[in-house]
Amino acid sequence: MKEPISVNLGEVAVSSDPADVLVAYGLGSCLGITMVDKQRHICGLLHAVLPHRLNGADPYCAKYVDSGIEGLLNAMLNAGADRRNLIVRIAGGANMLTTAGLSKTFDVGTRNIESARETLRRLNLPLHAEETGGHSGRTVRVYVASGRVTVRVVGGVEKDL
Amino acid sequence: MTSTLEFDERLIDTLRSITTIGIHNAVRGFSGLLGHKLEFGEPNVKLVPLTQIPMIVGGPENEAVGIYLRAEGDFHAQIMMILPLEKAYQLVDLLMEQPEGSTTFLGSLERSALGEVGNMTGTFFMNAVANALGREIRPTPPAVMVDMVGAILDIIVATTGGVSDHVLLIQTCFKDGSRSVLTDFWVIPDAQSLQALRQVEKK
Repeated sequence: MKEPISVNLGEVAVSSDPADVLVAYGLGSCLGITMVDKQRHICGLLHAVLPHRLNGADPYCAKYVDSGIEGLLNAMLNAGADRRNLIVRIAGGANMLTTAGLSKTFDVGTRNIESARETLRRLNLPLHAEETGGHSGRTVRVYVASGRVTVRVVGGVEKDL
Repeated sequence: MTSTLEFDERLIDTLRSITTIGIHNAVRGFSGLLGHKLEFGEPNVKLVPLTQIPMIVGGPENEAVGIYLRAEGDFHAQIMMILPLEKAYQLVDLLMEQPEGSTTFLGSLERSALGEVGNMTGTFFMNAVANALGREIRPTPPAVMVDMVGAILDIIVATTGGVSDHVLLIQTCFKDGSRSVLTDFWVIPDAQSLQALRQVEKK
C-alpha cells in the first residue's frame, strides 16, 4: 500500500491517483479544507494556519485560509476538476487554550473558520459539510479513490464528514 | 507584521547560558517542593524549524501532553513543554515517587503535577532572563492539554506563523537517582524581546 501523502502546515495537495490518501494530521486551530470532484476523481486538501493573507504574500499562499482556498481551487481546476462538481468541506479551527485569560488572545481557530466561510461565499462555492470549533485536535483524510473525507479526534475512530 | 525574528549563533549562546543558570536555580526549587533532591541534566539548546517539531515529538498525530505558559511584563515570550504521553506518565511517577508504570491516565491530580512542572521550569527560565535583562517578567498560570502533537503545536504556530519559522528548543533531563525523563521545551520570544536579549549579548 502507498504511504499517505502528509499535507503539512501551510501546504496544499491535489491528486487524481486512486491509490493516494491525503492527510492533514493533528489540526488544532489550523483549518483543513477539502475539495472533491467525484465525477472526475480529483481530490484536494489544504492545511491553512492563519485566517488572512498578509500583504505581499503569494495570492495562492497555502499558509492562509483565504489565499489557500483560492490556491486549492486553482490547483483543482488545473488538474481538470469541474468547478460545478466541487464538494467542499472544512474541519479544524479548534480553540486549544481553554485557560481563562489565555483563550481569547489566541482564538485563531474561530477566525480561521470565519475566513473560510467568507472566502467560499465570495467564490460562490457551497460548503457541503464541516466539523469545526471545540477544543480538540483533528486529523483529516481524503481518499482519492472514493472521494471519501474523514475526521478523527484523539482516542476516537475515523468518521465520515 | 514586518519585524522578523532572527536568531544567530551568538544569541543562542546567550540564551544557552541564561538557560543553564535558570535550570540550576530550578533544581533547588524543585527539590524543595518534592522534599528530596531532583536533578536536571545540562540543557541542550538549539534552533529548530517550526515544521520539524512534530517529527521530534513522534509525529503530528501522536498523543502528547502540552504545558503552555506565557511571559508577560517587560518581556514577552511563550513557553511550551511537550511530552509524549508515555513520558508524561513517567514524569508523574517520578514526581510522585511512585514505581514506574503506576500512572496510566491523567486525572486532575496528575495534570496539576504536570502544570507545576511547567510552572517551575518555565519560571526558572523567565527569572534567569529577567535577571539578565534587569526587567520584570510575570508568568501566566500554566495550561495543560492532552491532544495530538500537531494540534498542541498550533498554539505556537498560530501566534508565530508569518513571523518566525524557527523556535528555540531546550532539551533537558529530569533525574531522580537512576531514573530520568528527557523533556523538550520550546521557547518563542517575540521580536522586541529578542532585541532586549541582544542587549544582554553586548554586555
